Amino acid sequence: MIDYTIFYRKELPADGAWVDVPRWDIFISSFNSSERVNKVYDWVDADQKHWLMQPDYDYRPDEYPNGDVFGNTSANEAEFFQDYFDKVGVDLFDGKQICIDITGFIKPYMMHLIFCFKRMGVKKLDIIYSEPDRYAKKEETIFSDELVYQIRQVVGFAGIHAPDTSNDLLVIGSGYDDELIAQVAENKNHCRKLQMFGLPSLRPDMYQENILNAYKASEAIGVGIRNMPSTYFAPANDPFAVATELSALVCKENERKQLSNIYLCPLATKPQALGFTLFYLTECYDMSISMIYPFCHTHTRETSKGISRISKYTIEFAG
Amino acid sequence: MDLWLSQLVLNIISDACHDNEQFIESQETIFEKIQSLITQPNENIRPVDRLADLVSILHGLQKKIDIAVNNYPFTSEIDVNILTSPGELIFLIPKIISKYFSPFRELRYLYLMDELENLLSGQQKYINTIVREKELPCSFKIGARLYGLRTLETYSAGEVNKEGSEFEFLHLDEQLRKIQSSQYKTFAKELCLRRLSERKILFSGDDSNKIKTKELDQFFDVDNKSRFLKDATSFVCDKLSKDRIYFLKLIAQLKKSSKFSNSAGHITDNNIEAIINNLSCSEYPLIEKVNIFLLYQDWSRGYDLVKSSVSISEECSLFIQDKNYKCRQKSALSHFQNDLYAQILRESSKKQRYLGMDDFINMSAGLPRNLLIILKHVFQWSVFNDEAPFSDKRMISVQSQREGVIEASDWFFRDARMVGSYGSVVQDGVSRLATLFREIRFSDKPTECSLVSFSVDLTGITDEAKKIIKVAEDVSLLINIPGGQRDRNTKRVDGKYQLNPMLSPRWDLPVHRRGTIALTNDEVNSIFDPEYRDNYDRLMKTRVMRMTAPMFGRKSQDIGKRSINQGQLPGIGSD
Repeated sequence: MIDYTIFYRKELPADGAWVDVPRWDIFISSFNSSERVNKVYDWVDADQKHWLMQPDYDYRPDEYPNGDVFGNTSANEAEFFQDYFDKVGVDLFDGKQICIDITGFIKPYMMHLIFCFKRMGVKKLDIIYSEPDRYAKKEETIFSDELVYQIRQVVGFAGIHAPDTSNDLLVIGSGYDDELIAQVAENKNHCRKLQMFGLPSLRPDMYQENILNAYKASEAIGVGIRNMPSTYFAPANDPFAVATELSALVCKENERKQLSNIYLCPLATKPQALGFTLFYLTECYDMSISMIYPFCHTHTRETSKGISRISKYTIEFAG
Repeated sequence: MDLWLSQLVLNIISDACHDNEQFIESQETIFEKIQSLITQPNENIRPVDRLADLVSILHGLQKKIDIAVNNYPFTSEIDVNILTSPGELIFLIPKIISKYFSPFRELRYLYLMDELENLLSGQQKYINTIVREKELPCSFKIGARLYGLRTLETYSAGEVNKEGSEFEFLHLDEQLRKIQSSQYKTFAKELCLRRLSERKILFSGDDSNKIKTKELDQFFDVDNKSRFLKDATSFVCDKLSKDRIYFLKLIAQLKKSSKFSNSAGHITDNNIEAIINNLSCSEYPLIEKVNIFLLYQDWSRGYDLVKSSVSISEECSLFIQDKNYKCRQKSALSHFQNDLYAQILRESSKKQRYLGMDDFINMSAGLPRNLLIILKHVFQWSVFNDEAPFSDKRMISVQSQREGVIEASDWFFRDARMVGSYGSVVQDGVSRLATLFREIRFSDKPTECSLVSFSVDLTGITDEAKKIIKVAEDVSLLINIPGGQRDRNTKRVDGKYQLNPMLSPRWDLPVHRRGTIALTNDEVNSIFDPEYRDNYDRLMKTRVMRMTAPMFGRKSQDIGKRSINQGQLPGIGSD
């Protein structure tokens, strides 16, 4: 297993009074109506700032923000970024300091973008994530329309699977959307299922809200939330702890009995999804492991109120 | 797909034959023939001498394709050589083995594929193609949820697979529901006992202490079967009849009616008192409800209510003395007892009662999985309520059963929201249907007893409504009743559907199906087709008002006419 906690992680002031924060060459953020996305965009100091307009938020062109805006209608993450890189040119990123604010990203887009940068040979990425004060409707908050039209591998995270499915494992990073948890679990019905919860959660009450929602999906998961050893925990705002825990989990499960195929599905916070991504890109290439995701048509434009904390994570890829 | 299945076949052959001498003798030829299938022309090949090596070669080819697909977003091309035609490996590997390994000569190879619903339309089309092109000694059995069968098309010149020709269709849910109710009940109870026994919850391994299936019922607190549900309705008896909630409601309706001149007899305060006295039967609240129900029937026909109440009272007295006395009360009870009891519970702000193994088994609608889920939730609530279920003959409380049943019902409704855009549309339609059933059940004069099913002329509704009914059936929210329903007026055979009884607790509906309501095309469109949804409230109100005192669907100017024009209603039937 790999200990990812040696990566750099820094907290930035939530009021925007940032000192000792580098100026980046390129800053990329995904637009939505949350205060935390827009404020961070304003506070960041960068030569170029790119707003990405993900079609899932369904913004009309007249609702686009000011600045360099890149949008297209493809809801496929690979096509979306192919279009983006065609427009800005891949060379733009050569040897540049890049920062991505993942707060407004829909997870498969975020995963694919990081995958692209790794493929392009980018060695270092700064990632920003702003935590909300609270979610708009507490445990009732809906992040997507929950109308899943497809459950599939995220492009770039397909893996190479084995026909033997006798000891397949599904690891779900369980979040607020119980429908999504249930649908993924049903889709990989044959797999043994493990859940990873965010603990400590972003805010103390969010853990309870998370558990309340995840309980609704327990029928599809097949075991209760409190049934160890099917439940794991990792801090909701620390991708490096998540990646470390995931790495240890897979190691442990493989030691117990060689796993045939592994499916990963991060449905909780963006830092958790970032942790899953980091683990995958570091350890899972060419293995029978894939990252799957339940794709919905639309996502809610504004799900949170306020900013409680802003974190900067620095990811470094080996050569 | 072909590489995937071929690896599986060879692994199974390896498990079965790796140390078989006869196989070892013929393996050189077998390997050579199989290897030639995946070799490019003029390619030098290194012969393999183990099945595992052959599997490795196939896995290598699969890996090559996977990597090419993964890299497609960057390369915009898939650089792989396709060495075989569709299905060739799947059919020829078994053929080669059968030809050169004589013990397998007569063997039929069956590919079992499950969860077809997880494949996209294009992927299913490929499966359909190999099913269509199948060659002996191979065959297929494919499992799928009903909603998951996206297409029957193939890549074979656009041909479509036809049932009876290219495949046979086995509807498992229907097969299970065909099993005789008593047989299923016994099976279900034995299943539960076995599970409880294996987990050592119910009894230890001592056979002499074994509990019989019928004794399973004793662990659940259920209503006592007293005469006319006297015990179960005793909570009403702390009030005088005239102060009981259903009589207060009737009094209000009679007073409201007295404002109109009508043919139901002139209603004065004295008359109202007489009517209430005539309908009273203070010892048996259920009988009072029956009497009121009969009065509502007479009222809707425009009869004189005082005379009606006298007649009801006379028959009631005789019926109380002799339960076999043939009267309207006896007939009404035989049909509407459960509904009237449900009304008493509701009027008294008590929750509906879905209690005991028999109710749970009925709810499961022939599917053991549903039963186990109900019992799991009931058990969890019982443990939570500190009841130590199944130990020392302790009973699982009414409260635990109720909470568990509701939770299971909610799960079933949520679970039907499958992948795809129709999920919520179907749920909305089923919700409207169930709400209509509930309104009718709790109306003054329900026309059908234990109403959880409807019939409709499917040729007259919109394509969208038809489609949504079909999807609702595919996700088991609705159950198609084979044979349909013969329309009373036209003798036409209409489609007939039952709301899945797993949903009954969610809407306070019965778990047994008896009456069937014939819905008009407009009503069905307003329930299931989102385009006509706006008509739903009006149409539902119109229908329910016909069953509601004092107007029974008539406008005030119509009062005085002897009867409602029943011909305007669609035919009404019952099982």
